[in-house]
Amino acid sequence: MLVWLILVVPLIGAVIAALCGRGGAASARWVALASVMINLALTVALMLPAITRLSARTPAPTDAEALSFAPNDVTRIDLLPVGTDSRPAAIQFYVGIDGLNLWLIVLTSFLMVPSVLISWTAITERGNEFYAWLLILETGMLGVFVSFDLILFYVFFELTLVPLYFLIGVWGGPLRRDAARKFFLFTLAGSVIALLGLIGIVIACKNQTGELTFAIPRLIELVQQQLRMEDTRIREYWHQIQLMVFLAMTAGFAVKVPLFPVHTWLPLAHVEAPTAGSVLLAGVLLKLGSYGFLRLAIPLCPDAALSIGVPLLGTLAAIGIIYGALCAFAQQDVKKMVAYSSVSHMGFCVLGLFTLNSAGINGGLLQMINHGLSTGGLFLLVGMLYERYHTRMIPDYGGMAARLKLLSFFMVFICLTSVGFPGLNGFVGEMLILAGTYTMNVPGVSSNLLVFIIACGIFMGGWYLFTMLKNVFFGPLHEPHHDGHVVGDLNGRELAAIVPVAIACIVLGLFPQPVLDSARRDVNTVVKIADAARDRAAMTKNQ
Amino acid sequence: MDLTVTTLQSVFRLAAPEAALVLAACIVFLGGAFYQSKCLWGAIAIAGFIGSAIVMFCDPVDLSELRPTVSSLWPGQLTFYTRIVALVGGIVLLLMSWDELADEQAPDYFACLLALTAGTALVGSANELITLFLALELISIPTYVMLYLPRTGKPAQEAAVKYFLLSIFSSALLLFGFSYLYGVTGTTNLAAIHEALTRQDLPQLPALLMAAFVMIVAGIGFRITAVPFHFYAPDVYEGTANGPAALLAFIPKVAGFVALIHLFGFVGPGPILHTLDLGTRLPLLLWILATLTMTVGNVVAVWQTDIKRMLAYSGIAHSGYMLMGLATVSHLESGGNNGLPALLFYLIAYGAMTVGAFTVLQAVSTRERQVTQIDELAGLSGTHPSLAAAFALFLFSMIGLPLTAGFTGKFMLFMSALTTQSQAQDRMFLWLAIIAAINAAIGAFYYLRVVGAMYLRSAIKPLPGHVGWAGALALAVCAVVTIWMGCYPAHAVDFVRRSGQPVYVMDPAAIRR
Repeated sequence: MLVWLILVVPLIGAVIAALCGRGGAASARWVALASVMINLALTVALMLPAITRLSARTPAPTDAEALSFAPNDVTRIDLLPVGTDSRPAAIQFYVGIDGLNLWLIVLTSFLMVPSVLISWTAITERGNEFYAWLLILETGMLGVFVSFDLILFYVFFELTLVPLYFLIGVWGGPLRRDAARKFFLFTLAGSVIALLGLIGIVIACKNQTGELTFAIPRLIELVQQQLRMEDTRIREYWHQIQLMVFLAMTAGFAVKVPLFPVHTWLPLAHVEAPTAGSVLLAGVLLKLGSYGFLRLAIPLCPDAALSIGVPLLGTLAAIGIIYGALCAFAQQDVKKMVAYSSVSHMGFCVLGLFTLNSAGINGGLLQMINHGLSTGGLFLLVGMLYERYHTRMIPDYGGMAARLKLLSFFMVFICLTSVGFPGLNGFVGEMLILAGTYTMNVPGVSSNLLVFIIACGIFMGGWYLFTMLKNVFFGPLHEPHHDGHVVGDLNGRELAAIVPVAIACIVLGLFPQPVLDSARRDVNTVVKIADAARDRAAMTKNQ
Repeated sequence: MDLTVTTLQSVFRLAAPEAALVLAACIVFLGGAFYQSKCLWGAIAIAGFIGSAIVMFCDPVDLSELRPTVSSLWPGQLTFYTRIVALVGGIVLLLMSWDELADEQAPDYFACLLALTAGTALVGSANELITLFLALELISIPTYVMLYLPRTGKPAQEAAVKYFLLSIFSSALLLFGFSYLYGVTGTTNLAAIHEALTRQDLPQLPALLMAAFVMIVAGIGFRITAVPFHFYAPDVYEGTANGPAALLAFIPKVAGFVALIHLFGFVGPGPILHTLDLGTRLPLLLWILATLTMTVGNVVAVWQTDIKRMLAYSGIAHSGYMLMGLATVSHLESGGNNGLPALLFYLIAYGAMTVGAFTVLQAVSTRERQVTQIDELAGLSGTHPSLAAAFALFLFSMIGLPLTAGFTGKFMLFMSALTTQSQAQDRMFLWLAIIAAINAAIGAFYYLRVVGAMYLRSAIKPLPGHVGWAGALALAVCAVVTIWMGCYPAHAVDFVRRSGQPVYVMDPAAIRR
């Protein structure tokens, strides 16, 4: 019940905010704040019982159990019947909670609050529409995470495009139109191809088993049953299907993450987006891609994930780590630097997922949340700085620590979480990914090289972030030109936006165990699926 | 023989709804000559539409008394679909062109619209080559008049003449194909033709039949703006007013696709044991036509700056998607797939979004200032928020974003193509689906440009037009259909599935290569 409520509350908020009218921006933002706070409360109410329930499950499915996800708090309603009378099937409104999506839902609800707070004074025009789109975006993002129906997943995945298109295009910087268009077209092109893949796997299952279903857990179960068959013809069939479906899904998810050659929309979109847009784009929307890999691509096409996913996406992620870091170092614009650092950090995340072992996937999952908090925090702080001086160029600043003490403190702190300082959240995720990569056992992939690249990436992350800190916040004071208004340090509203993020970083850094515990069974399910694929690959090789 | 006589006697009752429309058309034609009033004749025309619907629901004919191989009309599953689409489409088209018409032209325009709707509805039940041809001409001839009526002047003249000449040419092609079909089978009755062609003892289909079908596809390809028969569309849309352009974008496509479905025998009067087996060549022909149509339509649309030309090319592209549905049905080895329901669903979705888009254009234009360039729509969200929102909805539906009819339609088409692929040995339909997906991405580019102009830019020269009550009503119908078929498509899908269920019993062994 709570699960669909968190989808509905923002929508209701959006309608009310939109109805406030052009002049009612002031009331619209209170409506928006109320909606996101209610949603956060609902999410917490959902989370607290869920943690105990999810952690209490057996750590891995036994051989007798179906090798698939089993969501809790399920709501299932038929939307579009597609089957025949004898074999009913339907596209469903099928939502639920499990270990993989719980923390991403919490992250989304959590980051919405600073997103509304940071827009409080920054958005002056058409405020009612702004908050309406922001709330619709929340529904879209939460919808992707809670969906357990393939088509519902896709519907929400696509629906995030429209609000963000308007958020960037209407309230963005000078190049906002290009940025919005590029973002929309890149993502749409990828996801249309992904849709073909999603339909493809459904139809393949129907042809082989006679059962037409769009439910993700059932599909994974059916695919696993099929893959266990000894018949070479069936095996050959699934080999081909998996290859095509995996490549199609990769097209959709890789653009969203974004991985190296298709990342070009991201810096532009980040730089032009209003601060709230950047926070949500980096904090949540990029995770839709990596979550897609984890929830769909790996469990539905384990053999293909192993045979082409690991080499292909591993390489692309490794290139992205180094390339993103180098680009970040070269930027003069702070926001662009943070944007490129996202390319680099999301590379860690994808690499972690595609180690296909427990440590790596846990690390990837944690890194999704960590990156959401740290990069979201960085964008918040950059936005606050920009609001004061209306410039984001590093050379315009110097020694700001003397003038803006609190802002500098939080900037240094968030940079530390981002580079993986021990005791803060980034450290746990990065270490797990490193461990996972080191022990990864995929023939033909050099894990040592990948470990080296990750280590380089972590080091370079420190390099560009600390260089930026040195130039902007330390050294002799050099204030950008500004027309005489008094520049004050963080006010109460801004503190309310950034302090919870900072606290979350510490909490997650010191106590990551609840996250790992609640996700354990589902991560192990994915690992078991991948292990079965490893066994099959080894068997084929021996024959 | 007794049954034959009863059939011939009662055949006129089968066309009662269409007769009601033609009667209304005659009244409006005649009366309009003496007294010119938009409101009066508009009301009578709408009464005609409603009367026809009442006749349709109240006068079921007992089919057990009739023989399909003799009757020139046969109310099959598609008939109901075609009539509903034609009547609702007719009313919406009447409403949307309301503000564009002056009192002097209104009666003629409405009468032509009634006649044309009768023609479209008749295509749905035609069971005879001659009746089918007549029905198609009953659509074309009023169209010539309507293209010229609301707006006179050189461009409209050119548009009307261009359409006239090419339409006659395509009709000739169609007749040519029909003559071969008659030559092969010795009958003009469609049911009889299919019975003759699907006989068990027929060793091989005559080669002439392929020539006949190529001619037929070419002739009807003109109506559904299939590439390479699409050349007239952008010029004609550009030259004529918005009402006739919307009509031209929608009605001939409905008629054309329904006619093709009938001619290929995908649905027929009764359960035929063996389907008309056109081997592998017909799927290939339709495959090529579909890929060409969608690709050319989308790629050329990218370069358009004129909004009506862009909508024309977008219409061509959407025809390509629908042809994809037709191509999958023609691939018989996959028997009983859902290509036909997908096509019929997309046809309604396409109608709602395209007619809706033209209605918005009509509303923002005035007699003095016609909106032609995409740039002129800049800042529409500021000056006309509700019109801009409606237009954005239709454009998102054309892109195929979820929660709009366009997405559900594309989803069904992709489903049917991929189902066909996995059953056939070759990868033909997989490639068709991939090409369609790439095309959908290309399409997003130019649709998004219009959304961008409306929402992300400010008005240079605000548009003067405003939407009248009739236009608003038409827009509301289109928008409701678009959202309803996108958000909760169960009813619509059920409707098209009942209309487009292949009647043949599949027997793969009977397929001849």
